[in-house]
Amino acid sequence: MKDISKTIKKVDSDDKSSGKSKYISDYKMENMLHAITVRSKHQKAKIIKRTYPVLKEGYYIIDHTDIPGVNFVKMIFDDMPVFAENEVNYYLEPIALVVGPDKEEVLEIVNSIEIAYEIQIPTYEYTNSVINYNFTKGNIEKAKKESESEIEYTYNTPYQEQLYIEPQGMIGYFENNQVTLVGSIQCPYYVKAAVVSILDSEEDYIRVKQATVGGAFGGKEEFPSLIACHLAIAVHKIKKSVKLIYEREEDMETTTKRHPATIKLKAYMKDNKILGISSNVGIDAGAYIGLSGVVLSRALIAATGVYTIDNLAVNGDVFITNTVPNGAFRGFGAPQMLFAIEMFIHHIAKDINVEPLTLRQSYLAKQNDSTSTTGTFRDPIIMPEMLEKALKESDFIRKEKEYKQENSLKGIGMSWFLHGCGFTGSGEATHINAVVKLEKDKNDLVTILIAAVDMGQGVKTTMRKIVSNILDIPIENVIYNHPDTNLVPDSGPTVASRTIMIVGGLVARAAKQLKENWIDRNYQIFTEKYKQPSYIKWDEDNFRGDAYPAYSWGINIVEVEIDKNTYEVTVKEGWSVYDVGKAIDEQIIIGQADGGQLQGIGYGYMEVMKAVDGKIQQKNVTDYIIPTSVDAPILHTYLIDNPYPLGPYGAKGAGELTLVGGAPAVALAIEHAIGKKVTKIPVTPEYIMELMSNE
Amino acid sequence: MVDYFIPTTLIDTLEFINNNEAKIISGATDLMVQRKKGAEITPYFTKKPVFVFNIKELNFIKESYEHIHIGACTPVSDLLNHKGTPSLLRKSIEVMASPALRNLATLPGNIINASPAGDTLPILYILDASVKIETLNSNRIVKVKDVITGPRRTILNSNEMITEVIVPKEEFTKSDFVKVGGRKADAISKISFTYAVKIKENKIIDLRLAFGAVGPVIIRKEELEEKYTNIELSKFKELKQEIINDYRQYITPINDQRSNKEYRKKVALNLLGDFIDTL
Amino acid sequence: MSKITFILNNKVVSTTQHPTVRLIDVLREEFDYTGVKEGCGEGECGACSVLLNDRLVNSCLVPLGTVHDQKIMTIEGLSETPQGKLLIESYSKEGAVQCGFCTPGMLMASHSLLNEIPNPTDLEIKIGLSGNLCRCTGYNMIVNAVRRASKEGVGLW
Repeated sequence: MKDISKTIKKVDSDDKSSGKSKYISDYKMENMLHAITVRSKHQKAKIIKRTYPVLKEGYYIIDHTDIPGVNFVKMIFDDMPVFAENEVNYYLEPIALVVGPDKEEVLEIVNSIEIAYEIQIPTYEYTNSVINYNFTKGNIEKAKKESESEIEYTYNTPYQEQLYIEPQGMIGYFENNQVTLVGSIQCPYYVKAAVVSILDSEEDYIRVKQATVGGAFGGKEEFPSLIACHLAIAVHKIKKSVKLIYEREEDMETTTKRHPATIKLKAYMKDNKILGISSNVGIDAGAYIGLSGVVLSRALIAATGVYTIDNLAVNGDVFITNTVPNGAFRGFGAPQMLFAIEMFIHHIAKDINVEPLTLRQSYLAKQNDSTSTTGTFRDPIIMPEMLEKALKESDFIRKEKEYKQENSLKGIGMSWFLHGCGFTGSGEATHINAVVKLEKDKNDLVTILIAAVDMGQGVKTTMRKIVSNILDIPIENVIYNHPDTNLVPDSGPTVASRTIMIVGGLVARAAKQLKENWIDRNYQIFTEKYKQPSYIKWDEDNFRGDAYPAYSWGINIVEVEIDKNTYEVTVKEGWSVYDVGKAIDEQIIIGQADGGQLQGIGYGYMEVMKAVDGKIQQKNVTDYIIPTSVDAPILHTYLIDNPYPLGPYGAKGAGELTLVGGAPAVALAIEHAIGKKVTKIPVTPEYIMELMSNE
Repeated sequence: MVDYFIPTTLIDTLEFINNNEAKIISGATDLMVQRKKGAEITPYFTKKPVFVFNIKELNFIKESYEHIHIGACTPVSDLLNHKGTPSLLRKSIEVMASPALRNLATLPGNIINASPAGDTLPILYILDASVKIETLNSNRIVKVKDVITGPRRTILNSNEMITEVIVPKEEFTKSDFVKVGGRKADAISKISFTYAVKIKENKIIDLRLAFGAVGPVIIRKEELEEKYTNIELSKFKELKQEIINDYRQYITPINDQRSNKEYRKKVALNLLGDFIDTL
Repeated sequence: MSKITFILNNKVVSTTQHPTVRLIDVLREEFDYTGVKEGCGEGECGACSVLLNDRLVNSCLVPLGTVHDQKIMTIEGLSETPQGKLLIESYSKEGAVQCGFCTPGMLMASHSLLNEIPNPTDLEIKIGLSGNLCRCTGYNMIVNAVRRASKEGVGLW
């Protein structure tokens, strides 16, 4: 049998390289109008009066008065308006949309709109909690009582901008009595649901299609629903095609980012043992809740990282501030928590004078251990084997000793991490209910009908590979077009490291059905629906039970050197070992892993984004610094198979995992180099200077 | 009405800017960012643009016995490929933005943009580089440091054009340029530092230092350079703290979206100290 | 109205657009070369890279007036050449393409680098690509792709 992991040619590589692939800004239609968003000039204010200019024929101003449905972006909470009505809650909040044939004139109209505000006092502090979650494991009170000492640290993590190279964008048009939206999106059915709600329409009045997506990283999960609503209201009203592409600055100032977080951890200690940990997490939602509750819950569930701690008290809040709303970003709460817990375990070890590696190993979770939410790690955990590989390849132990003695400003750091695959808890069964279809035509060409989006992670190739392997037909005979809600069932959003494991698993099942029932030269169609494994039990209210059906695991090691004069960090080399079950395509996973790790490393030491007075300061690619090719270290990436019985060919999630360990690994490497405790990221030269001058 | 001009000769250019309210556009790497209004919207220019980038007679690198003459429209990447380019100038260009940008950027562009973070400026200051400024009827040679009067401000009049940059050729015992950016390439300076020193028989006979991005303009203090010239190298090293103290007052950086003033100041002085230690 | 004429992917073309219009807009909107991507609009990301007289430039920073009587090549032109074809193949073999938005610009930069240095070291490759941001790959596979093209394309550059 051939090994599924063996790399094949990516199906979309050549079209992308040669510029043939159509991204959203490349679409052209007859008489297409341009749209630009009118935005708030204040962080918190009442709108007293709007003065719109007299418009030339063919120009339109669309605002909340044009909304047929209820003025909210349909998500989890009805709190974020599509267009601000009587108040604004963050700087640059959308108020209206100007549409017309000449983009320059559209811009002039935008600039000529006068809005009178009554300014109110904004909040930027973590004071206004709108969601609180808390849970315990074991008996934290007992641990507290029995402890002899407490070790406490507070960790801070910043914004991170996805910085997909393709800015947000969408076009809308009216065709066959449907409002049709084509966009750079991760979740066609999220967009559809939001538009159905805002237009208060029938389902079949809305059609959503995906264009080739130029990177997303979570940034095109829920945010595009807002643009879609703006456009859909316009298209519904004027029945013309409209294009709305964000400028880079507009994208950086107004779209969702990774939630800044403050994480306070306290360990109850006795005889150099951790009896229990209490965690307090605050995340900054920005002006509206959006997905922040779900982000918080993923952070809380990751409270103990890869370690088994018997007694836990976990508490977290979502705070509302008058800043741009934050949202989905690869890792979804876990990068913040994993940074904190990885630093914490290290800092505990230092404080009790134990080798960090020894302390880590003594708490490393094993199969059948109880998770942070008192669920069970059911599947084999192969971290010891992964560790051996990582230590050997990186020569970690020798370097760790030598650099410390040398006093050379060289450092090496290691992080251990895991990521739950798929939606949290029973989300797959209760919220998503994925459906996939596999259709064979009379020429025996097989089409995969799913809503999953290829945003660079390679599912166009891996899904087709799964089907062609199972059916034993050439990959050219398997078709997988960009999703179109008129044609594909709702297999769920392209998020949460679920696409291969959950959707791919269903596609594999459908392929097996087809294989067993294959009739040459006949039209056949097979449908598969998600069924939750019966042993997965999740109590959403009490955060109790199996938070995820499966976990992927990883180890990152990063080596750095600091310049003694400028405190600049050179990331010299990186090593990673991952357990993603089974790679559907080795090269695709390693490529994704390298990118994820560099994005995580960037988060850890380079990428600075701050809001001052509610305004994002780094609003272009010149000021928001991400790693270039010269900054990128050589990355040595290894995969160890650990097949998951319910994943296709044993595959688990991989997309988010690879980002999660980057920040703690690089932060620990810098800590090692300078001999000072690091408690926040990014560990910039400015912060290193501060640490090194506080003797 | 002619509302723009694409000349092929210098004389046509000078005549046009003499007779029109014109804006010279060369590599345009700063200008097109400053004037952009968005995708598919024409950038904003109030004056008549004159596109000079391809004027052949302004694209040259010539060497005389004492100087290197660089035509105004010579992209800085040409200086990387030219053997006789002073090594300091080469170093500053190597770390300037990106390869694509270096194919458009010109030295006069860097000068006229007059940003304290301009990569080549500290070098042009300490090498005592000059520019040739021409009008239809006249020309004058002015030192780069005298062209720039403040952030984004120069002495150039609207009928004037920089046509040439003139860099003296000099041999130094030791020289270096350090750029501190947010990352290793494609970055704007947080701080830059350059020095060039001549040492003869263990004595410092020529000392030049400049800092970028730590004040409104490039910081070069010739009176301090003079103060510490003609002294023994060992003595110079002993004076480290005094030298640092002398410079400290002139290092007046700001907080911005790229760094903070404490860091800029400390690192600028660290680099100065390291220069003294390792001389 | 006067015309601006230039050579675009080996063909003489002309346009009546104003010379301050950005080259990227002319290439994408008038000539439909949408392989030229806009990622930042300020010369930092490299997605809009094209060749101006065989040298790499950011087309978002080039006003149309600058290309009058000059020569421009976009990814659409490069991909028809033996060098372009080899780069496309090398990028594919090394898995260097993920979302693909940076890729056309990355190929232009790769070609320009190999034009200057046919046998680059890894550091030279990285410097050659340093103005082209990629957020998906971590750059390792891109560097591998350029190295492969350099090895397999002996004599092409």
